[in-house]
Amino acid sequence: MSSLLRGEEMCLAQLFLQSGSAYDCINELGELGLVEFRDLNPSVNAFQRKHVSEIKKCEEMERILGYLLREVKKADITLPEGDVNPVAPLPKHVMSIMEQLQRLEVELGEVTRNKEKLQRNLLELTEYTHMLRITRNFVQRSAEREPLQVQYEEFPFLEKDTMMDYSSMQRLGAKLGFISGLIQRVKIEAFERMLWRVCKGYTILSYAEVEDYLEDPDSGEPTKKVVFLISYWGDQIGQKVKKICDCYHCHLYPYPSSNEERNDVVEGLRTRIQDLHTVLHRTEDYLRQVLIKASESVYTWVIQVKKMKAIYYILNLCSFDVTNKCLIAEVWCPVNDIPTLRRALEEGSRKSGATVPSFVNRIPTNDTPPTLIRTNKFTSGFQNIVDAYGVGSYREVNPAPFTIITFPFLFAVMFGDLGHGLIMALFGLWMVLYENNRKLKNTRNEIWNTFFEGRYIILMMGLFSVYTGLIYNDCFSKSLNIFGSGWSVKAMFQVWKESDVRGNRLLSLDPNVTNVFNGPYPLGIDPIWNLATNRLTFLNSYKMKMSVILGIIHMSFGVILSTYNHLHFRKKYNLYLVFLPELLFLLCLFGYLVFMIVYKWLVFSAKDSRDAPSILIHFINMFLMQGDAVQPLYPGQTGLQVFLVVIAVFSVPVLLLGKPVYLYWLHNGSHRLGMYRGYERVRRNSEEELYLMRAHDMEEGSSHSDLSSSGECQTEEFNFADEMLHQAIHTIEYCLGCVSNTASYLRLWALSLAHAQLSEVLWSMVMRVGLRMDTQLGVLFLVPVFGLFAVLTVSILLVMEGLSAFLHALRLHWVEFQNKFYSGTGVKFSPFCFSLLPSSFEQDGLLVEGFAQCTF
Amino acid sequence: MAQPNQSPDLNLIEHLWGDLKRAVHRRCLKKTARLVESSFGVMAELSFNVDHGYLEGLVRGMKAGILTCNDYHNLAQCDTLEDMKLHLQSTDYGKLLSSSEEDLTVSLVDSKLREYLVTEFSCLRSNALPPLSTFLDYITYSYMIDNVVMLITGALKQRDVADLLPRCHPLGAFDQMAAVGIARTPTELYSAILVDTPLAQFFQDAVSESNLDEMEAEILRNKLYKAYLESFHTFCKNFGGATRDIMCPILEFEADRRAFIITVNSFGTDLSGADRSALYPSCGKLYPEGLQLLAKAEDHEQVKAVADCYPEYKIIFDDPEPASDFKTLEDRFFEQEVKLNTLAFLQQFHFGVFYSYIKLKEQENRNIVWISECITQRQKSKIHNYIPIFRGTN
Repeated sequence: MSSLLRGEEMCLAQLFLQSGSAYDCINELGELGLVEFRDLNPSVNAFQRKHVSEIKKCEEMERILGYLLREVKKADITLPEGDVNPVAPLPKHVMSIMEQLQRLEVELGEVTRNKEKLQRNLLELTEYTHMLRITRNFVQRSAEREPLQVQYEEFPFLEKDTMMDYSSMQRLGAKLGFISGLIQRVKIEAFERMLWRVCKGYTILSYAEVEDYLEDPDSGEPTKKVVFLISYWGDQIGQKVKKICDCYHCHLYPYPSSNEERNDVVEGLRTRIQDLHTVLHRTEDYLRQVLIKASESVYTWVIQVKKMKAIYYILNLCSFDVTNKCLIAEVWCPVNDIPTLRRALEEGSRKSGATVPSFVNRIPTNDTPPTLIRTNKFTSGFQNIVDAYGVGSYREVNPAPFTIITFPFLFAVMFGDLGHGLIMALFGLWMVLYENNRKLKNTRNEIWNTFFEGRYIILMMGLFSVYTGLIYNDCFSKSLNIFGSGWSVKAMFQVWKESDVRGNRLLSLDPNVTNVFNGPYPLGIDPIWNLATNRLTFLNSYKMKMSVILGIIHMSFGVILSTYNHLHFRKKYNLYLVFLPELLFLLCLFGYLVFMIVYKWLVFSAKDSRDAPSILIHFINMFLMQGDAVQPLYPGQTGLQVFLVVIAVFSVPVLLLGKPVYLYWLHNGSHRLGMYRGYERVRRNSEEELYLMRAHDMEEGSSHSDLSSSGECQTEEFNFADEMLHQAIHTIEYCLGCVSNTASYLRLWALSLAHAQLSEVLWSMVMRVGLRMDTQLGVLFLVPVFGLFAVLTVSILLVMEGLSAFLHALRLHWVEFQNKFYSGTGVKFSPFCFSLLPSSFEQDGLLVEGFAQCTF
Repeated sequence: MAQPNQSPDLNLIEHLWGDLKRAVHRRCLKKTARLVESSFGVMAELSFNVDHGYLEGLVRGMKAGILTCNDYHNLAQCDTLEDMKLHLQSTDYGKLLSSSEEDLTVSLVDSKLREYLVTEFSCLRSNALPPLSTFLDYITYSYMIDNVVMLITGALKQRDVADLLPRCHPLGAFDQMAAVGIARTPTELYSAILVDTPLAQFFQDAVSESNLDEMEAEILRNKLYKAYLESFHTFCKNFGGATRDIMCPILEFEADRRAFIITVNSFGTDLSGADRSALYPSCGKLYPEGLQLLAKAEDHEQVKAVADCYPEYKIIFDDPEPASDFKTLEDRFFEQEVKLNTLAFLQQFHFGVFYSYIKLKEQENRNIVWISECITQRQKSKIHNYIPIFRGTN
């Protein structure tokens, strides 16, 4: 518990690792995740460190593994579920893994290359067949036209130029050439245009689309292609045409000169395609086998390589001692874990068979240690809320344990509805019950993960909402009459007459008439208020006062928590000079307001409620110091109020000046007072956590030669102006904050009002419409109406309102509560732990890892 | 005052509103006459983020990944390319170099860096909306011109197109590229091949019937460049606002640099002064007097005399002090260009950042390639001749 309240006590320790067993020791530590390593050679570049070559080797392996994983994924082979947690391989085993990986890569590369080559071949052959089939049509068409052309030779066709006319060309004596091939459909127009421009019309292009989609060998995407046939005159133009074809990445295939040749080629192609298909199948099968074999161990390798790389990274952070025989590492470690640390080192030494053991040595330090707060699955959500504001300073009071109760409570005050709370609690409970379900745990959906991480918060918020819902007596905006109302309408008929009942739309119950009011409802608000027209006025007054009371209690609690910090850091003067004036200021003004509210509730009953004074007027008069005009609440009120205001006013200068003046006196005044105060001065001035640490170390009796040297740099310059400025800002912030923060707590009232009204509107506008239908069809009508009601309830009232109430509760904690005592300027302790290391493959979505969480 | 770690004050976007407000405030109410104009200007800035805000933010984020002096310092200490790969891993390049199977060579580094730049650029280009997309296209035209000329000279030397294509800068790639070698005269080049490409608009002056030889190709490049720079300059000028303020000086500098380089390179060739002056881009600061003088210049001293009249070029042509390292004229121009381009990031709501980012990144690529070249050739003494970008930042 003390760990949750303050965080673990940390210490800086030196690890002396024998160079032979360093690898195993670090491995042990990585499995346990106990310590955070410090970089001992920050001035050395990444590539100049000791174990660069090993890291490079690991990276090479990672690259091969990435390649393997991509191939495995491409082949749709599922990786075997990995619950295995293999240990990091010994350095001597690395070579064998490396060899295996390289062999696999070479094998796989060869097979894939072969496969690709085969596929390319196959594609070429298919393209060729398509081309032959389609160009045949071109020729056939022209053959059909031939008689026509002969017929109208005197009046040549316009088309005559654009169609092939073999015989006429022969007459001209020019050499006719053909180029045929395939081109992507999108490019054909530009291709045609350029062809025309370059060759000035001395070519004829005819083309037709291929019906099937052909796979593009480079991108692997199916694309539409066009078969074209160019006929040209002369060699020079032919060269140009070829160049243009190259430029548009056309696939060119030889054009058969005669029909017989064409048929032969087609026949040959068919058999070759068939052959290729069988070969390709074989290759694919073989590839799959290789991949399946690889996938069995690839997961293990990924983890092993990851661990190994991490170990070498850590080894790079260590420095060598003078004899070069042992490595020195500096670590931050929780004091309680030092025995475990020792045991881990022993274990590591034992495993590597080292003759000289590795050992731990605590060293004193001036640096502020990182903050470690151990959490479990229940508290971690709440700790995250606090950490989102700022990680606590070392050994500072941690608001998280209090947040566990106050956060859901303040949320529930705003979200108070039995029904909605129940739904929320059930949702939270469902997540809690199925928290070990892999499917829920390992999704990559960020929104879902946010909810899932906060499942205990949601459960608590739901449960507290059920409670406040009971207090407000609200369930989907309806009241529950569990215990029977304390009010009786029947008794009112002593007063009411026949004409009263008939003549008025609204009648009021008078609690002063006997038997009308039989005492308060046992739990929460009387259900009869659900019928009353002045329900809102009544609830407003109640909720407003309640939020002020809760706010003042919450803030005073925050101020009181600050005493834990003052006492722990041995700054007793803060207790008198900061905490006391702060508390007095808060309580004398706003605490008194709470007193008045409670006093009024207790003293004025239904009988004399007409004479009940307005608290607001009294409160204002308290500041104006003129209480004569109104009747006092109790005898001696004016005197007490003047006294309280005076105390509050006087606590402001104490708060403003007290601490700076006292510190000034401590630093400058004590010089004159001489030596006899010297001891105390050192005690007070020392940076507190440091002092504590040193005291602790000395108790343990460990010898520190550099104790005195570290003490020297401690005497800090005291700057009065600085201190004064700080305190002035703090004072202004606090005093204004008391007013504005109290007002800020009214959001509790506002949001709870908004929630209640929204759910009432939803009921009356949707559900009641369905319930009003009194024909038989009404039942059928009710089904969609209820569906709508349910959807709106969940989406608006639960999700939207829930989020807004969550945000406001968050704000009340961060701003109004935590600024009273929490500075949040610490650094989080990030231990070296294998399971917390990110894997580059996970980011690429190649791998979903299900690791057991570390102990932190 | 101490702030909590996740304070809204530390949120970048919040400061943007403040900047916007100040921009409005600065421009308002000085003169009634200017009010209308200025409010239009501010309106343009207000709506700038609607279309281009995302990309500007993106490019500013990318700019943060440009290597710092510290990085260069570390890179210069490397002994092998493997070391360099390891160091680049800790920068924004990340796994860029480590994902390849082959051994590292300088050309591989170069092509990888280029690939990286092109990926970034195409990300920007594919998300850009009209005025910005035209602007980005303009950036690619200069690479296209270089590619065309390279292909022509390659074809003249009877090199295979398949060898040449990988050497083209991918930013200036276009469909008809491979066919460039077919053309024999600039006219043919224009009418047959480039008429469909965006380069066609720069061909007005370049059309001629003379056969393409190496000299002619070089002249063609300069003519195209002249037309391109002038057109780009006009585009930026018409665009107005901060884009004009940033881009015009950069393009003017570019134009003048070309004029200087043309003049210096023409010494010893048979290019006459009149021919030369036809190649000078006319949008620079040298126009018109400086260009006339340059056309008459006969040797390096005379060029220097011309530069002396312009303070910004005087420093470039000044004799190096004996103490400092000797730098080539080209390097000095690059240095000046980097200086101008870094200025672009000081203003908001303009397109200059895109141009500057590409140019800076290109310079960075040149630097890295230079360093790796020095490493592989064991020329450690020359390794510090790179041109650092953003000196002050680290």
